[in-house]
Amino acid sequence: MNRRVVITGMGCATPLGNSINELADGLYSGHIGIGRLSLFDAEQFPVRIAAEIRGWDTSLIGRSPRWRDAPRQTQFAIHAGLCAAEQAGIADAVPDAERMGVYLGCGEPFADFTTFTRSIGSSTTPKGDTDECDATESFAQIAARMFDPDIEREYEPDMPAIHLAELIGVQGPVANCISACVSSTQAIGESMRMIQQDEADLMLCGGAHSIIHPFGLTGFLKLSALSQRNDDPQSAVRPFDADRDGFVMGEGAGLFILEELEHALRRGAEIFGEMTGYGSSQDAFRVTDSHPDGRGTEAAIRRALASARLNSDDIGYINAHGTGTIMNDKVETLAIKRAFGQQAYRIPVSSTKSMLGHATTACGAIELAVCLISLRDGVIPPTMNWETADGDCDLDYVPRNPRELSCRHMLTQNIGFGGQNAALVVSRYDEHRSGFSASSTQRAA
Amino acid sequence: MSDLYNDRKRIVITGLGVVCSAGRTIDQFWSSLAGGRTQSEHAAATTPSSIAMTPGVADFSGTIEDFPGVPDTKRQAIRKGLKLMNRETRLGVAAGQQALADAGTMGQFDPQRFGVCFGADNVSVMPEDFQRGITACSSTAGEFDFARWGTEGLEQIAPLWILKCLPNMPACHLAIINDLQGPTNTITQRDVSANIAIAEACRGIRSGELDAALVGATGTTLHAFSLMHAQLEDEVAGNVLCRPFDKRRTGSAPGEGAAAIVLENAQSALRRGAPIYGEVVAWGASSCVGSANRTGKSEIGRTSADGRDTTRSRSCRKAMASALRQTIRRAGWSPANVGHIHAHGLGTWQSDIAEAQAIGEVFGESGPIVPIVAAKSYLGNSAAGAGMLELVSSVLSLKYGHLFPVLNYEVPDPACAIRPVVDCDEPAGTSFLNLNAFGRGVASCVAISTWAA
Repeated sequence: MNRRVVITGMGCATPLGNSINELADGLYSGHIGIGRLSLFDAEQFPVRIAAEIRGWDTSLIGRSPRWRDAPRQTQFAIHAGLCAAEQAGIADAVPDAERMGVYLGCGEPFADFTTFTRSIGSSTTPKGDTDECDATESFAQIAARMFDPDIEREYEPDMPAIHLAELIGVQGPVANCISACVSSTQAIGESMRMIQQDEADLMLCGGAHSIIHPFGLTGFLKLSALSQRNDDPQSAVRPFDADRDGFVMGEGAGLFILEELEHALRRGAEIFGEMTGYGSSQDAFRVTDSHPDGRGTEAAIRRALASARLNSDDIGYINAHGTGTIMNDKVETLAIKRAFGQQAYRIPVSSTKSMLGHATTACGAIELAVCLISLRDGVIPPTMNWETADGDCDLDYVPRNPRELSCRHMLTQNIGFGGQNAALVVSRYDEHRSGFSASSTQRAA
Repeated sequence: MSDLYNDRKRIVITGLGVVCSAGRTIDQFWSSLAGGRTQSEHAAATTPSSIAMTPGVADFSGTIEDFPGVPDTKRQAIRKGLKLMNRETRLGVAAGQQALADAGTMGQFDPQRFGVCFGADNVSVMPEDFQRGITACSSTAGEFDFARWGTEGLEQIAPLWILKCLPNMPACHLAIINDLQGPTNTITQRDVSANIAIAEACRGIRSGELDAALVGATGTTLHAFSLMHAQLEDEVAGNVLCRPFDKRRTGSAPGEGAAAIVLENAQSALRRGAPIYGEVVAWGASSCVGSANRTGKSEIGRTSADGRDTTRSRSCRKAMASALRQTIRRAGWSPANVGHIHAHGLGTWQSDIAEAQAIGEVFGESGPIVPIVAAKSYLGNSAAGAGMLELVSSVLSLKYGHLFPVLNYEVPDPACAIRPVVDCDEPAGTSFLNLNAFGRGVASCVAISTWAA
């Protein structure tokens, strides 16, 4: 029998606010955190909108100049991680440092674009009509001179995890995973499993990312994945709506303290919910597209339900990946119907990316925070901008207005490039949960 | 221990694959190691990108011919995928296909119950992917005009460029080519990634969710950015030999490579009569990342009077000792019966001392006795890839019964009071610990033994 895992701390950085309560207020008021892209001059790009964390205040993570040059995602992660640790009451002293780990799904930080282009401009020449270029050897030398080493050393995806381990005093396992848009979902799921299997008692987990960068914009523009509604940013992300035309780049972080139930009870920690299910899967179809039947997403949902020992009718709300691209929303809807059967039409499904944009590797963690807020308050968030029904998307998407709904179990799922899928089930904490007990006999088993 | 450790959940290794400067097949790899061929003999190889001083994987151009062991039915899928694979992905896929072929997994498993977990590095943007766009936006004087990037520059970028840059691509391509529909994940925790990937796959098998998993790691420190990052974290040796634990060592050597293994539930391996290379007995990972206070002020980076970063060294030693101790405890072993240790063996002044001290601390009296091998002396440091290459080389030692020397190790360093192997006569024993660390104070370890029913 697996050990039970509860959430005892959470923190976030999002376009709707940098605390759980600000995020909750934003969700309930239907605030849309999308506007003109301001982090760099995008005026000549076909897409000029983004879901930015406006006026980010670096003092949230301490006034040391050490962080000033860190990538935005690292700053978001440190803020959210310290909030989570403080809420859990472990920020100043970790109970047993070797029994606590960090597992994040932070994305790729991008090198400074101007320095990058200057290094290349100074070092390479095209080779005829081929895609190749000569002299990358001198690129290495020129780049090494042009990039600032102290800044550059922060540009690795595992740096947020390493900084947080250091700041909080963790001495157990430290890891970062990247599995595209399911990274933080998997980091949380695997953290849960590590506690279940007795490898740790406490885990700091989640993820952070910012793709609002010339490299990110270039990459997603080339994939034709972005909404082009530059003139009306507020209506740009329209998940499951017939007129949807893509996602909007976002940024942010969601970090959590997961804790073994008895450990939490012994310390008298406040419990915000229980992690009950995790499933992940691979479409094994194409790196670019989901399988048209949504088979991977369906499998991830089924595995999450099975690991939670729940049936499809136990789930009260689904926080969808819901990027607002034609393909994602169609395939995801199909997958939900295949996994839940007739129950699918009963379960409210919403996409909070309509308000938060798409924080890529961090989206799953932020959406788990959304679910925890909903469990706490008995209100589920809406899908903003849903106006016109689409024959392929025929579920209850909670259009435009939040809805009072008290749930015991919620599912949040994500889908990523490469055929990656992951789903989490989060439940209201119930000490008498059927089939599970908090008794100490489990540990002796 | 709990029921997680009963026989039903024992996990064995049934397939191996490697692509590195010492060989592109398991047999080549082993004969290089067992022959104790010198680093410079391997160095005849070409260098793929930026630095000419260390060997890349010779003759690996990433065409379909570089994927031996691939069944005909899969060749088309690989050929199609190649244009979306950067070099690290190609190396990883080639190693993964070898491991699957070696384990004979085709048609033997429920695809839903077969997972993939890889270790990989952050994939740096390749200059060649942007070179044309940058030229298009530059004046005749060579001045880049960002305002033109959103129009003229974009036109020159390949439509699926960003998919080449995702670290999860080696694992995803392998899953797609081989229809592996279990969970896929990619650990990007630099040098400690491979052992963590093994731990994660084992967790999936022990939970009963998976019957088997393809676990691999791929990496490079040859690429311009990777090398720059490696230089920032370590002392890179430059154009000289990597000499782990030797008194004359001057630093790590850049390298590239990938390796993969197939893990499966022991029952499944026995049922299908698969040859078993060894058993994954336990794993452990730990960190001791300096110490910082809330203002973000870290001790890391502070140097002592002789210019050495002592905090870093201490963090690394503590993390390695803790990972070793945890792994030995979970394996139910005692230091005296560990066959050998595959050391991280980076070849830098501090890392090697920290590692030797960690081994001494955990192994006590056995510390100076237990044989130590270090494949980085042959291969250089392929970052995330190195841990799996090292593990595979030690698994081969178990198979052939003897170890291989730490290359270039000639002058013992009294500060490293351990016993690096110096010839091929040393018995491998029946078990080993695969230890890896990353300089900021993160370590991971896996315990492997020969199979005994």
